[in-house]
Amino acid sequence: MKRRLFGLLAAVLTLGLVAASCGSEGVTTTRAAFVYVGPVGDAGWTWAHDQGRLAAEATTGVETAFVESVPEGGADFADSVRQFIDDDYDVIIGTSFGYMDDMLALADEHPNVVFEHISGYLSNDTNFGNSFGRMYEPRYLSGMVAGSATMSNQVGYVAAFPIPEVIRGINAFTLGVQEANPGATVEVVWTSTWFDPVVEGDSAQALLDKGVDVLAMHQDSPAVGEKAEAAGARWVSYNSDMSAFAPNAYLTAPVWDWGPRYAEIIEAARAGTYTPAPDGYWGSMADGVVALAPIASDVNADVVAAVEARRAEIIAGTFHVFSGPINDQDGYEAVAAGETLDDGALLGMEFFVQGVIGTLG
Amino acid sequence: MKRPVLVRRHRPLRGGQPLAFAVGLILALAVGAVLLMAADHEPLRVYQRMFEKSLGDQNAWSLTLNRAVPLGLAGLAVAVAGSMGLWNIGAEGQILAGAIGAAWVARIGGTWPGPMLLTGMLVGAVIGGGLLALVPAMARARIGVNEIITTLMLNEIALRLLQWLIHGPWKDPDSYNFPLTPVLPAQAHLPTLFGRAHFGVIIAGAVILVFGIAASRTAWGYELRVAGSSADTARYAGISLKRKILTVLLLSGGVAGLAGGVELSGTADRLTEGISNGFGYAGIIVAALALMRPSGVAAVALLFGAVQVGGQSIQIIGVPASISTILQAFILFGAIGAGVFVRYSLRLVPTGVDASGEGGTAA
Repeated sequence: MKRRLFGLLAAVLTLGLVAASCGSEGVTTTRAAFVYVGPVGDAGWTWAHDQGRLAAEATTGVETAFVESVPEGGADFADSVRQFIDDDYDVIIGTSFGYMDDMLALADEHPNVVFEHISGYLSNDTNFGNSFGRMYEPRYLSGMVAGSATMSNQVGYVAAFPIPEVIRGINAFTLGVQEANPGATVEVVWTSTWFDPVVEGDSAQALLDKGVDVLAMHQDSPAVGEKAEAAGARWVSYNSDMSAFAPNAYLTAPVWDWGPRYAEIIEAARAGTYTPAPDGYWGSMADGVVALAPIASDVNADVVAAVEARRAEIIAGTFHVFSGPINDQDGYEAVAAGETLDDGALLGMEFFVQGVIGTLG
Repeated sequence: MKRPVLVRRHRPLRGGQPLAFAVGLILALAVGAVLLMAADHEPLRVYQRMFEKSLGDQNAWSLTLNRAVPLGLAGLAVAVAGSMGLWNIGAEGQILAGAIGAAWVARIGGTWPGPMLLTGMLVGAVIGGGLLALVPAMARARIGVNEIITTLMLNEIALRLLQWLIHGPWKDPDSYNFPLTPVLPAQAHLPTLFGRAHFGVIIAGAVILVFGIAASRTAWGYELRVAGSSADTARYAGISLKRKILTVLLLSGGVAGLAGGVELSGTADRLTEGISNGFGYAGIIVAALALMRPSGVAAVALLFGAVQVGGQSIQIIGVPASISTILQAFILFGAIGAGVFVRYSLRLVPTGVDASGEGGTAA
């Protein structure tokens, strides 16, 4: 009865569209599907992941597919993933924090499918892992460039949400600014959005109007750079080398390189050896997941040399961004001399270092 | 010189609605086919997949129905207000307020048995949405403040309230400071009907049915339409406009709030900023296309849901999201927009001639 009702409704609703069913049963070759929160053309977060997908496809030869602009929090993500699984995809990579709960549930539902979530903290023991990158390392280096570039000693930072990932980035950047220029401050404006060119641009303009002459950002569009370009200020972009959007303002950028990590996950799934990294995979500059984009050609050679030296030390493990002494925003000791924050403290970071102007919320 | 004018027919075309639907749909699919071919996709394969994945089997139907639930409730909310000429642009905010209300009940009643907790959450959702609508309702009823502006502005306020809660007092302590509440207790999930379809389908269907009957078969519904078409007539007939405005906007807000509660306990599991996903704004389109009629709302919401699920499914075979979105809009407006021609005909009229003498141009 229910079936017949459905059939009737289907016929009414689609009028004339003939449903010819076609089987999509395939052989069990590994196929990887990516679900993105934004459009692949945004030059930001999603663009960087899609470059990773293309690189992984090239190195592994595995067929990949993606869906873009899939919102968090509703039914869209799980619906998309189930459809991929119906189509015989057996590696699912979700690149936004809000997909995490759904992925955990889906991983239970589909034990033969490998799930990898980017930027979260949940995982299971068998088929659901988490990956992220130590973006604070190149953030620090980009801060050194920004600190050298400011004339007003006022640097601005347009940031999305006060979550540990973003706070960590602001702190690392500020520590880098202060290594190059101890008197400089970093003023933070929250936008409450990852991708909204208008809001991002307005926030950048507000900072420029206050006398900031270098802008950094934790956003996905190049809008901040366009404002900096128009004002004759300088700009540290994020996610990818966005120099094309603001060629005169652009200084450098902390960037993602997901290709090798994605290839690793896909290869492991194909070989049947995938196991989630316990406590998640947190790739560093040494691993290549994060990097500093080329520095603008007009930056002083001494600055470039100092940044290169630090980069080598970070990769060699002889310099850690969050080694003490570090004071918090109010001047109290946050990390004692000789101590280094462990990963737990980094993942849950909820304080600003000295030199940051702004509030956590 | 001639110009095209929409002229109202003396009587609607007999049996015109399904015909218009079919013609509009075919036209939309034809235009969409050109677009798809321009983007190097085979239209037939794309359409076949859209159909299969949205209406092709029970599982597909369950996904479509789940989508139709928030769209239908939001559309009903707008339509209830619209049936007396009021515009509730605030369904989006009321959905958020409803979700907040439901989440609040789940916080205090985490240990209650399932049926009691679920009922409490849904009541909380209705109250939440209704409370948000109370301000514009009072302002409109008492001092005639335009409800379009006030309901719209309250969307922003509801969003800020939600953000404050999930960034602040309701934040999951285990979430590494991410803005979300803890996951709902297990008994706070709406039961599953079949496939992925949850109990919200029944709730939405029942609510739409009740409003449909109330609107067309009761004195209350009749008074609503009278009040909507002429305030003077209503006053003459002894209908209290103030009370009508107040109750209608509160009901409208409550229905939208219910959508938020159902989304929370049927789909989302926890309160995040993404709880609504623009359903409140889509509801305005649903209500407008349904000509503010509850029965129409159900049909449009189903079509809308199917188009959304189908549109998502073709992305999986490589159709970009933007083309999928354009295609969805084509189908929706082609299939439903063509209904205009049931009531109006397109005539070429020499410029300077007033066509309104024949029954009035389409507004």
